[in-house]
Amino acid sequence: MAKFNKYVEIGEPTMVASALNNGMLKVVEKHDNVVAVLADMGFPAVDWFKKNAPERIVECGVAEANAAVVAAGLAAEGFMPFTTSFVFALIGRAYNQIRQSILVDRFNVKMMGREGAWGETGISHNHVEGLAMTRVMPNLVILNAADVVEAEKALVAMADYYGPVFYRQEMSPAPLKIFTEDYPFEIGKAYAIKDGKDATIIATGYMVTEAIRAVDILEKDGLDVGIINMSTIKPLDEEAVIKAAQETGAIVTAENGSIIGGLGEAVGTVIAENMPAALVRVGIEDEFSQSGQITPEKDELMEHFALSAQDLAVSVRESIVRRDSFNLKR
Amino acid sequence: MAHDEKLITEHEAKANVVRHNIFRIFDSSLGGHCGGTMSILEIVTALYFHHLKLDPNDYDWPERDRVVLSKAHCCEAIYAVLPEIGYVPEEALDTYYCYRSPFQGHADRWCTPGIDYSGGSLGQGLSFAVGMAMAEKIKIAANPPESPFPQFLPRLTPIYNPVYRTYCIVGDGECHEGQIWEAAMFAGKYKLDNLVTIVDYNKFSLDGPTEEIMPLAPLDEKWRAFGWWVKEIDGHNMREIVDTLDLASNLYGDGKPKCIIAHTVKGKGIPVWEETHSHLARGEGITMGVKEGREIYG
Repeated sequence: MAKFNKYVEIGEPTMVASALNNGMLKVVEKHDNVVAVLADMGFPAVDWFKKNAPERIVECGVAEANAAVVAAGLAAEGFMPFTTSFVFALIGRAYNQIRQSILVDRFNVKMMGREGAWGETGISHNHVEGLAMTRVMPNLVILNAADVVEAEKALVAMADYYGPVFYRQEMSPAPLKIFTEDYPFEIGKAYAIKDGKDATIIATGYMVTEAIRAVDILEKDGLDVGIINMSTIKPLDEEAVIKAAQETGAIVTAENGSIIGGLGEAVGTVIAENMPAALVRVGIEDEFSQSGQITPEKDELMEHFALSAQDLAVSVRESIVRRDSFNLKR
Repeated sequence: MAHDEKLITEHEAKANVVRHNIFRIFDSSLGGHCGGTMSILEIVTALYFHHLKLDPNDYDWPERDRVVLSKAHCCEAIYAVLPEIGYVPEEALDTYYCYRSPFQGHADRWCTPGIDYSGGSLGQGLSFAVGMAMAEKIKIAANPPESPFPQFLPRLTPIYNPVYRTYCIVGDGECHEGQIWEAAMFAGKYKLDNLVTIVDYNKFSLDGPTEEIMPLAPLDEKWRAFGWWVKEIDGHNMREIVDTLDLASNLYGDGKPKCIIAHTVKGKGIPVWEETHSHLARGEGITMGVKEGREIYG
């Protein structure tokens, strides 16, 4: 088993949903101005609101565009609205509303959107363009947590931060529990889960789990590969990227989303401008997702999109070959 | 509650000052949304100089009435009012469209003291106003006012004036946007009687008459169907505007959001703009209208 850095203690796969409930309970304990703005798609810890502050439940129905701007109006009056839905609706349907009514005036609205290329729901809900869509939006912080511990901490941190935040909650197989309870999450800071001298995987969200599995495979081949957990997509921790590029010269990015406009392009830009290194982007190629079954033996979509630990290991080897052929060996 | 003639005459005189400020804005910008600006001129004047609770020394006063100009392209009408209140210096009138000007091409909350909503993308302002009105309802629900006479009326929730009211001006072409009706449905559901929406029903949008582009009639029935109190007025008749705004405020507590459908004329009072139903004019289209306006209104 690979040697990990402080605050990392690999545990069992754990779904993230419970973290949102617990995180929200911590948030409402600390902030008395949270408003739950619903768009008929549920809300974490909604029972707490029903019991303790029913007036702070604002149900907009299946009207995400209206919900986004109602949230902006509430924020203008000092409230901290949280909205939630699938990303295709929360961001996709309300893109212009978020731009015009939330981001232009930097209103303190928190958007929690579910997306990812996993599950049975098909092309509509298995949306993969969320990071690309939001990265170009000024004034917006984008978070994508790797495990149940980080998800809870991210929720608390985004409430402590003043300004609009898009929290991307991934639909994916359960990620491994990665962090210890005292892991210090900070918006805008990447965390090196594991150091390595041969190559670095910069992963976000669920793909951190696959990266952890991949380094085990590569270790057997005698390769020492580092992992950086990039849970803040924007503002990107450029220092961490430059440091990794400098140290290993072989970078693989991994994301459960479109490789156009996502983490891979963000990292690629930083490398190209600051510290040339070989780069391989792992993610969903320029295509839509579809329905897929997940069984203990097989994950059909993971196989289809080549996102498993084995695929990641192949990409790491490729990055090392590219680095050496580009004469970028450190 | 009828206001005396003197007051109405004063407001009409004020409307003329605002009109001349609009001309001055167009002098330097040589462009602007003249049609929709002239159609809301009297409404904006009545709001700011008769009706709104404002503090001339503090544009951000928490208890001020909110104004959401959802048809934010007609910001010239509000810009023309702001120096008269004292929120911006008079010289700002000569900077419309300019780099770093407080008078941006569309209303902008952070650039302009006295603007509550950054708009421009149509159909969203009503949702924002609904959010502002809802915020007040949440605050009241969290801390309900106590009955002043608990021994006599323990079960009656007293009706106090709201801390602030929210006013939203939407265009008629803007009512083609589906989101207007999402917001209307929401306001009806949450009984936002602290919200007054004024529809500038000037019957024209950019491509032509709204009834041809996408019919809106019967507009009053549409709003009523969503649970709103509706009144239709002549949007250029100062007395009707003032009386209806006062009436809408006095009905606070009835659980109904208020919609005032103001029948107006696009480009009102300026023959060249009225004839062409001018939406956006530049260059000569603007200067001709301004010249005519100065001749007519002295």
